Amino acid sequence: MKRPQAQVAVLQAADAQEDRRIDDVAADADLKPEAATRAAFELEADGLVSVAEETLEHYELTEEGDRYVRESLPEQDLYEAAIDAGAADGPVQMGQAIGASGLDGGAVDIALSNYARKAYGEIDSGEITANPDADTGSDPEMLALEAVADGRVEDADADALDQLERRGLLDVREETVRSVRLTDDGVTALMEGVEAAETVDQLTPELLTSGEWEDVAFTEYNVEADAEDVSHGKEHILRQTANRVKDTLVGMGFSEMEGPHADAQFWINDCLFMPQDHPARTHWDQFALEQPDEIHDLPDDLVERVRSAHKEGVGPDGEGYHSPWTEDIARGMDLRGHTTSLSMRYLSGHQVGELDPPERYFSVEKVYRNDTLDPTHLLEFFQIEGWVMAEDLSVRDLMGTFTEFYEQFGITDLEFKPHYNPYTEPSFELFGTHPETGEVVEVGNSGIFRDEVLTPLGVDCDVMAWGLSLERLLMLMYGFEDIRDVHGTLCDLELLRETEVMR
Amino acid sequence: MPVVDVDPDELRYLTGHDEKDDDELKSDLFDLGLEFEGWTEDDEFQLEFAPDRLDRLSVEGVARSLRYHYGDDRGVEVPNTNSADWTIEVEDQPDERPYVTGAIVRGLDLDEAALESLIQLQEKLHATMGRKRAKGAIGVHDLTMLKGDSVTDETGKSITYTSADPDEATFVPLDADAEMTPSEVIDSHETGQTYGDLVADFDRVPAIYDAIGLFSFPPVINGRRTEVSVDSRDLFIEMTGTDQWTIDHMCNIVCYALAARGGQVEKVDVSYADDAPGEYAGKTLERPDFTVRTKTVTHDRIESILGVSLDSREVIDYAERAGLDATETESDDGVAYEVEIPPYRVDVIHPLDIIDDIGRALGFNSLEPTYPDVSTVGGRHDRSRLEDAARDALVGLGFEDLLNFHMINEAENFERMGLSPDNTGGDAVGLADPVTIQEPYSEDYTILRTWALPSIMMVLENNTHRSYPQDLAEIGLAAGLDDSENTGVAEHRTVAAALARTDASYEDAKARLQALADAFDKDLETPPTTHPSFIDGRAAEVVLDGESVGVIGEIHPKVLVEHDLELPVAAFEFRLDALE
Repeated sequence: MKRPQAQVAVLQAADAQEDRRIDDVAADADLKPEAATRAAFELEADGLVSVAEETLEHYELTEEGDRYVRESLPEQDLYEAAIDAGAADGPVQMGQAIGASGLDGGAVDIALSNYARKAYGEIDSGEITANPDADTGSDPEMLALEAVADGRVEDADADALDQLERRGLLDVREETVRSVRLTDDGVTALMEGVEAAETVDQLTPELLTSGEWEDVAFTEYNVEADAEDVSHGKEHILRQTANRVKDTLVGMGFSEMEGPHADAQFWINDCLFMPQDHPARTHWDQFALEQPDEIHDLPDDLVERVRSAHKEGVGPDGEGYHSPWTEDIARGMDLRGHTTSLSMRYLSGHQVGELDPPERYFSVEKVYRNDTLDPTHLLEFFQIEGWVMAEDLSVRDLMGTFTEFYEQFGITDLEFKPHYNPYTEPSFELFGTHPETGEVVEVGNSGIFRDEVLTPLGVDCDVMAWGLSLERLLMLMYGFEDIRDVHGTLCDLELLRETEVMR
Repeated sequence: MPVVDVDPDELRYLTGHDEKDDDELKSDLFDLGLEFEGWTEDDEFQLEFAPDRLDRLSVEGVARSLRYHYGDDRGVEVPNTNSADWTIEVEDQPDERPYVTGAIVRGLDLDEAALESLIQLQEKLHATMGRKRAKGAIGVHDLTMLKGDSVTDETGKSITYTSADPDEATFVPLDADAEMTPSEVIDSHETGQTYGDLVADFDRVPAIYDAIGLFSFPPVINGRRTEVSVDSRDLFIEMTGTDQWTIDHMCNIVCYALAARGGQVEKVDVSYADDAPGEYAGKTLERPDFTVRTKTVTHDRIESILGVSLDSREVIDYAERAGLDATETESDDGVAYEVEIPPYRVDVIHPLDIIDDIGRALGFNSLEPTYPDVSTVGGRHDRSRLEDAARDALVGLGFEDLLNFHMINEAENFERMGLSPDNTGGDAVGLADPVTIQEPYSEDYTILRTWALPSIMMVLENNTHRSYPQDLAEIGLAAGLDDSENTGVAEHRTVAAALARTDASYEDAKARLQALADAFDKDLETPPTTHPSFIDGRAAEVVLDGESVGVIGEIHPKVLVEHDLELPVAAFEFRLDALE
């Protein structure tokens, strides 16, 4: 019988009468332990050896444990001091006992915490008593410490060992040890004679160029064995989702917007016809900036038109708001609470020049809300924002556009619930049917921009817009329950690694 | 969004629809945009709705909307009002709170439920239109407890809205047993502690007197003498605030609610003294002001927004079902409607709002979606395409792509990376002066990050239990103060990458940086530099095409230990636009 060299060596080193440790076998066989292990498993697969595994525990005293075994446990010191102070007859001041014990620093806490646990006595309101019956001389933990120190672990009480480990006095290390033993078949094979086959492990350049490869046999691998884990580069799951949204929108004729994250309230709120005393500006809670606290320049003519829209309204029957409006507030800097600030910059002509209908624009960018961080709310999240500018748009066009968009993500049966936004009229909350669970879920907010928004911007056709949180779309599609696992520094790399690739 | 508690029995009573069961009511309310959120402890509906229809902040208003919805009522209804008997004299009132309005409602027979509803309506109006009482605050009093002052024979009964010395005037406030001054109320009365801030800076505080004395300290608290109970038949309603329109409309909503309870509204004259502060000096206003406003909306605009053809009869019908009245008229833009708006509607401020009402009456969900037949060419922004290309290259090099918050705190951004925030403004990557957040809620998020490596170090720190190697990268926003920018903020995208592995070295990081530079056809040089986050002698500038754009090196052990890492990390960070 021909076997690979390593297997032959292991067979010859193994014994039929007793388990031999792989390390010893490897040494005899002049093999690396890994090679011997692999050969042993290959032999085991053919029934020629058996491989046994056992877990050994090694006990070693820590530096602290070593000190105590040479001296005494702090609680023993305290007990003796307490007895000397007369605590066996009644409570004495704790400070007195501690002082007499000679303990200091962390040792005091250690002594106190173990003292009561071991019923050496009681500690209450700064006074200490000593239990005269306590047998500190045969403290099981001390006995166990001594047993470990003397190499008599088997004599030690198991509970005491656990306790010592918890107290950090003992290190316990586990080691898996494999041993092999020849089986009857192995003995038979040896008796019948086993030769080393001329096999090669690794196909080398020399074998190829010399042509020797034609004369050798290749060692068989265990092709079913587990391979090592490799990590690989992977685009973040939320980025993948964002890119899919972007691709979808580009395909629908939308162009991407770009603009500042830190921006003036003017672009974030005032252009959107949000009254300056609106609860949304105080309690929707956008992040106001301390530094910088105000924008350098706003377009004067636009500021005046926006002010006028707020104070007097737009058109002969427009009323505006009965709320104060000052440019100072408009100049204040915030982290944008929505990317509609970008839409305002684009529609105003201040970002990429005057726009003529038809236009479609979108962005999938970060927004910031001063919310409470919880499984479904982040302080920063991605908002999908899109708008269509055209003559004579109707709510039916809005419904058609969004129905088309959501169908790309499997969200169907869109419903439009009339809603209120300060900047759109009519406005709709969008509800759709979840692709997996079938439940009806809110998927966005939409509407047609009000004249009070568009007229100051100089837009004289219709613009319909909608917004949606990308994280919400992601959670709907993947069923994540805690968005913090995915987005931010609390993310779990394992989860990111294991999430399936988006198709 | 506002939430209002509504007793379904009250709703059945006020709508006259005893046959509706709870589920039917919930469904009808949903159609109106009032969502059932759950039951209160007293078995009432908790209804949530968008903050436009503030006339629905009590069961009376909700019932009114339902009656229109059912077709029981149509068009605008205005309660009858009796002429004024009482006057609110306004003189020496605080400049900071110059306006007042009022009304009297007589002949009420309020039970506990109706009284609770009135209290809830006040609270909800305070929270919304009243901006937590800053803009408008309501006081409701038992009229029989008021003694009208007759200064002269020709004036009838009156009360006076004026100001008072906060340390001298005294009255017994609600929920108290002894006389207190306004200052004492602010200091030690529970309601005073809540709302006292609104007037704490005033030299003299708002005060309302009758012939007997001080009986109300708006916007903080009323006096106990005029407290309303189920036995009160006639109510005096006063509202003070910073805007006359706002308090007048809050008053309208309250009067409509009480009229729905069978009350008879009686006008009150609000007489501003010749030298009174505010817009109305020397004028007398008759309140409540139930004037019906009108707006003109064109037929074309209705059809164009709704995307359907309608005839005039239908438009008028839908308007009436929305509680409006519409009359066909001619305008420069063809057929139009003059639409009357009832005085409780505070949300209609433009003809578009009427179109929305018509759409709701018609039922938006009955409309068939259409795809707008206009063609545009889409495309990605250049910056976003570059970012994607760089991210693809990093992923190809084996990096796991991360997505971290742009907000961080100073300790994470600077100190824990070995940087001193006192030395900001220097050249070192990460040492920009940070954009800071005003009064942050959370200590974890106080600035915008100036660089991204701190975020990556935090991810490493939070994932020490996960398998290595951890080769992590992020392309994202970093920002710093820059006065040359209009916003005062220089924002840029930054490329950061870190190799955390047992044998990570400078060379590993540079090999990947070199590959990235090659992929974008950029010439890479790495002259030595020093940076507090990196080991001296193992840090270099990242110079791409001759421009210094970042830093590369082995992370300093003190930074690793700070982040509980027990293995070396090699890292680099540079500006994304260097790859353009």
